[in-house]
Amino acid sequence: MTIAALVLNLLLSFSSFAALALSLDRHHRGTFDVPLPRGRSRGLRAAGWSGLILSFTVAVACAGWSFGPVQWTGGLTGAGLAVVALISYRPTWLRAAALAALPLAAVALPFALAG
Amino acid sequence: MAWLHTWSGLVVGWVLFAIFVTGTASYYRTDISRWMQPELTETATDPVAAATRAGAYLGRVMPDALGWSVKLPTAEDPAVEVFWWKDQDGPYHRALLDPATGERSKARDTKGGDFLYRFHFELSLPPLWGRWIVSVCAMILLVSLISGVVTHRRIFADFFTFRRDRSAQRGWLDAHNVVGVLALPFHLMIVYTGLVTLAPMLMPWGVQAAYRHDGLRYYTEAGLMPQMRAPAGRPGTLLPLGEIVSRAIAAAGETPETLWVTMPGDAAATVTAIFEEAPGLAHLHPQIAYAGDTGTEYARTGHVGAATRTGAVMIGLHEAHFAAAPLRLLFFLCGTMGAATVASGLVLWTVARAPKGASPAGLGLRLVRILNLGTITGLPTGLAAYFLANRLLPVDLADRADWEVRGFFAAWALAAVASALYPPARAWPVALGVAAVAVLAIPVTDILTVGQARFLGFDAAMLVLGVLLALGARIAARRPRTLRAPGTSIPRTAEA
Amino acid sequence: MPDLTCRLAVAGRVALAAFGGYAVAALSAALMALVLPFSRAEAVSTGTLASFAILAAVVIWVFAARTLARAALSLGLLAALLAGALWLAGAFTTAGAA
Repeated sequence: MTIAALVLNLLLSFSSFAALALSLDRHHRGTFDVPLPRGRSRGLRAAGWSGLILSFTVAVACAGWSFGPVQWTGGLTGAGLAVVALISYRPTWLRAAALAALPLAAVALPFALAG
Repeated sequence: MAWLHTWSGLVVGWVLFAIFVTGTASYYRTDISRWMQPELTETATDPVAAATRAGAYLGRVMPDALGWSVKLPTAEDPAVEVFWWKDQDGPYHRALLDPATGERSKARDTKGGDFLYRFHFELSLPPLWGRWIVSVCAMILLVSLISGVVTHRRIFADFFTFRRDRSAQRGWLDAHNVVGVLALPFHLMIVYTGLVTLAPMLMPWGVQAAYRHDGLRYYTEAGLMPQMRAPAGRPGTLLPLGEIVSRAIAAAGETPETLWVTMPGDAAATVTAIFEEAPGLAHLHPQIAYAGDTGTEYARTGHVGAATRTGAVMIGLHEAHFAAAPLRLLFFLCGTMGAATVASGLVLWTVARAPKGASPAGLGLRLVRILNLGTITGLPTGLAAYFLANRLLPVDLADRADWEVRGFFAAWALAAVASALYPPARAWPVALGVAAVAVLAIPVTDILTVGQARFLGFDAAMLVLGVLLALGARIAARRPRTLRAPGTSIPRTAEA
Repeated sequence: MPDLTCRLAVAGRVALAAFGGYAVAALSAALMALVLPFSRAEAVSTGTLASFAILAAVVIWVFAARTLARAALSLGLLAALLAGALWLAGAFTTAGAA
């Protein structure tokens, strides 16, 4: 239950939630000013759900079956709050933030697994 | 179901807000206690010698007690806290001892973080009353959460939606949904596990049916407590408590957290060494019981089965002792969101019923508004007064700890009464502003009166809280203008 | 809408949910403690932990039921069944269960 593992969890859940939010027409319009193309929604949704599953796997791998799920759930709440804050106050930043979180997560991964 | 959610939330909302706020603060209970006793320095003392001195002190104040308890000093918490009592129903006397001398500590007298912790489930009422009231509120919250999920049909479509640019009612509804839904796993967990912590009082019927009048046997059979001995009825001599601590360290490989002495003056006195929770989620303290006169081990806690362990994990999740700093911060955030869910729900109730045009507000609406103001802004003001009193009252004042608590309630009551008297249009910004100023005064006062580097973290947290309250005051001051913006009204029945 | 019968019906549901819900939860906790095929302590723990979920379910159900009379009737029946099962399990005999 190191800081790195928790940060990794937050980053992955943040990107996943951002993808899920952008798969909804309302938030897609808010971020890109264009309505959601038909095929894109399914892709974003698939990416979002797989990201959440990946984040759960990472949490369990880093923190075990007892702490992992607790940490993952807490991370979901924190990441969800960040996505809602961005959508409400800086919608145009959402895409960049979600993409930036992925390489950061890749950096955090070795630290999280080592910890 | 919408009806059930609205009204069940309203009737217990104010108490729930106070429960959430004090409970969330209790995640940092030891940090609060340390801040409130700046005289206690960080030197670790020998727990063996400290235990012997504490035993000698207790032997002087109440040799014929029913029980004593001694919390041993650790590096994180260097004080020795002792309790003694003659009757199971209390009163429970408490003192803080200096581990080096075994005399009453010279540190300022305070209830510290324990006051907030106990308020969280007893509301400063007689314990049985307080616990039942809190439990009823928790049960209603559980029902309210379930009916809220049922009511909120578009839970996934609205998952990320916070429309602050629309009407006030829409904004509050979205805010209520977002903080409620995003932390829903936490909310459900915390209310259910909270009920489980009070289960022995709330639901004794399982124990009653299976064990009849021998309820204590449940705890020993379940592996939660070691076997206890019957009193011998003749006086005996107790070994120095440090001797027991040495034996416990030798037997378990770690220093016990607490010693629990039953009938210290009796020949069959028992000293139970209670160890810290084993690593993991479960709230299970291993225990070894020693004969008080000879120091021989005669019982220890046994195997804990799956169901009992599940209950212990629930209590562990509620208290989050296992959570290291980063995870604890997330728990704290979730607790804050719980308080925010309650508060936004309460405000939403009044916003959705705000009279249109010039018609005056009814008595019920005015009452709810005043109670909202008095609770949501009054409680932070009271908490600020509690911390300020700790720094400003004379260190050697008689009943100092009680005066701090009186300061808390007096400030809360004053803030609540005052906010009822403010002109309604200005009430929120003014009341939040008062709370912000009171909270911002804490770090300033601390730096002027004590000024120790190790308290900068606490002071920074208070600074953040004060700034957030000030921001809230600013937003509240701006709100009436957006309310009057044209074309933003929505049907008031919508989803409320 | 807020006439007297409506208010009485609401008060009735609240009372039924609170007292009926607690009665059913308490009876099931006691029954589980006696009949579950675990060790005695484990059965007690299981019944106690589950009782709060039962209580919440009963309360929700009382408020969701179409009429108060229907809710009261079925809740009464459920409580009677549980009490009967408890009696069969020997909860009301004076000879100790130990």
